[in-house]
Amino acid sequence: MFEIVENFLLGLGLWPWLATLVVTLLQIMLVMVPLLLSVAYLTYAERKVIGFMQIRIGPNRVGFFGKPLWGLGQPIADAVKLMFKEIIIPGGADKFLFLIAPVLSMAPALAAWAVVPFGSEMVLADIDASLLYVLAITSIGVYGVIIAGWASNSKYAFLGAMRSAAQIVSYEIAMGFALVGVLMAAGSINIGDIVRGQGGAYGLLNWYFIPLFPLFIIYFISGVAETNRAPFDVAEGESEIVAGFHVEYSGMTFAVFFLAEYANMILISMLAALMFLGGWLSPLPASWIPELALFDLALGDGIHWLLAKTALFLFFFLWFRATFPRYRYDQIMRLGWKVFIPITIVWLLVVGLFIMGGLAPWFDAA
Amino acid sequence: MLENYLPILIFIGIGLVVGGGMIAAGFLLGPHKPDSEKLTSYECGFDAFEDARMKFDVRYYLVAILFIIFDLEIAFLFPWAVVLRDIGMFGFLAMVMFLGILVIGFIYEWKKGALQWE
Amino acid sequence: MSFEQILFYLFSGVLVLSAGAVITVRNPVHAAMFLVLCFVTTSALWLLLEAEFLAITLVLVYVGAVMVLFLFVVMMLDINLARMREGFARYLPIGGIVAATAVGIMGLAVGRINFGLDVWPAPPARAADYSNTRELGEQLYTTYVYPFEIASVVLLVAIVAAIALTLRTRPGTRYQKIEEQVVVKKSDRLRVVQLESEGRK
Repeated sequence: MFEIVENFLLGLGLWPWLATLVVTLLQIMLVMVPLLLSVAYLTYAERKVIGFMQIRIGPNRVGFFGKPLWGLGQPIADAVKLMFKEIIIPGGADKFLFLIAPVLSMAPALAAWAVVPFGSEMVLADIDASLLYVLAITSIGVYGVIIAGWASNSKYAFLGAMRSAAQIVSYEIAMGFALVGVLMAAGSINIGDIVRGQGGAYGLLNWYFIPLFPLFIIYFISGVAETNRAPFDVAEGESEIVAGFHVEYSGMTFAVFFLAEYANMILISMLAALMFLGGWLSPLPASWIPELALFDLALGDGIHWLLAKTALFLFFFLWFRATFPRYRYDQIMRLGWKVFIPITIVWLLVVGLFIMGGLAPWFDAA
Repeated sequence: MLENYLPILIFIGIGLVVGGGMIAAGFLLGPHKPDSEKLTSYECGFDAFEDARMKFDVRYYLVAILFIIFDLEIAFLFPWAVVLRDIGMFGFLAMVMFLGILVIGFIYEWKKGALQWE
Repeated sequence: MSFEQILFYLFSGVLVLSAGAVITVRNPVHAAMFLVLCFVTTSALWLLLEAEFLAITLVLVYVGAVMVLFLFVVMMLDINLARMREGFARYLPIGGIVAATAVGIMGLAVGRINFGLDVWPAPPARAADYSNTRELGEQLYTTYVYPFEIASVVLLVAIVAAIALTLRTRPGTRYQKIEEQVVVKKSDRLRVVQLESEGRK
């Protein structure tokens, strides 16, 4: 599809590099715009889902065309409101770092999406080490938190930032070990290859969440802790340190932190779907699907399965927030270091033995 | 290989532009009415007693150091996991030994109480 | 000039400028952030050399881990840079000589004489599906398995040293013992007593 656009641009007499640039920008927009829209509507979904869980209605007034439409206009209204709010830079703050911090948390949250595959050929940058790239680029996000806390010159912000940073780095280890298990199973560091490794004759029984079950659970819980979401949100902990590292931020600067957090949530959910739940693969074995074009489109492999699985994990994020009370800080650190790391190390050895023994149906292929 | 990285470079650039652009838009569209009370940092109604950038528990350094060590361990595990099928039992046992030595360190940490948060 | 060369000069320019900023800016946190920028641009240069795995690992380990520790330290210690800079002018000549010598030796060692295109022909560009990680792994865990095992011992020493240097336990601290809480049974905590009722008079 993009070759057609590129050839058309070349036919217009554009320089080849400019044509490539335009096509790449077009592809990036195709990833970025739906992503930012999903972020906006994830905030809406969060308020609705938690509302229903608490027997409330959630936002239901702001709609389009003069109709309420279940409050679907709410995220747009919020964005516009935040845009017209004053950005307050506190007196003692380090102005440059104060303003650079939100960008430092936003840019990695977006840039990680460059290598996420949405289908067997639908990937923006098909690099070999794509999973390593995601891990590296998301680890930069911690700077946004630390710098924000330090630059604000506020005790609450500083405390929140330190807690948050120590928590993020602790869970990054558990997450890294869980990823190593996936790499062992797939024998590749490329996310597309990891998904292809989960294909097979048994549909969803071929996916990695079965042999890697403990790693799957640990990966997702670590993901919740990495994004500082409830029940691990001591960094924000409004009842003790008001809002943590972004207490001094207002207007658009606050909105950027908020967007980065939600973009990271979607990223974690989609990675979990890609690595453990077979990504865009259909849960039904290919032999079960009737040989009709319509059925094949609806039940066969495709991006709709990936989006559905991602939505499932996002729902878990919201469900956790509505259900669990906040962990205490020492309990969070204990869970990360004393529970998750030993379990992952042991399970890596178990997976190694599975591979050495060629356990079917996951590891029998050479 | 390098041509695959070009979209990433552009993507990172766009990520920075989007983040910076949003903040710039907020600056352009929002009001600017600073006053001295508004600009003080958030406190419980008092003036701050001391500098907010205080010293804190040495335990945070320890967590950061241990994090570096384990991060390096993960960096060693990544290529190993990829080639495990090719290097066979020898490679597997090499990593078992590597992890075994590090697990000794981990047990030492645990017994010393370095992982215990007060 | 090819696009790659433009990128090379761009990244190396940023690298040199930010490295200069690390030692000249007044604020230590700013200096640390410039060091982060140094690592990121270095990683881009390594990527231009097609060392994919090492380039990304540089970001993962140095930017994602080591600099976090640096920032912790720099933020917490009140480093007075003005005092440290007092001797700057006095030591500048000797420092300059040492720096110039080091650069000269490096230029001689890795310059044209030993690594020119006539000595080492330029390697061909890799195909798109070339796996740098796989190639590295095949060497590291077979041919270089002894250095690899020694690395684990070095890391073990680092763990022990870090704990010996920084661990301070406060006496009299009480911990929550979760294992004991979990195994506790009803009979350990609760005693049901049968009492004789007094009866009506």
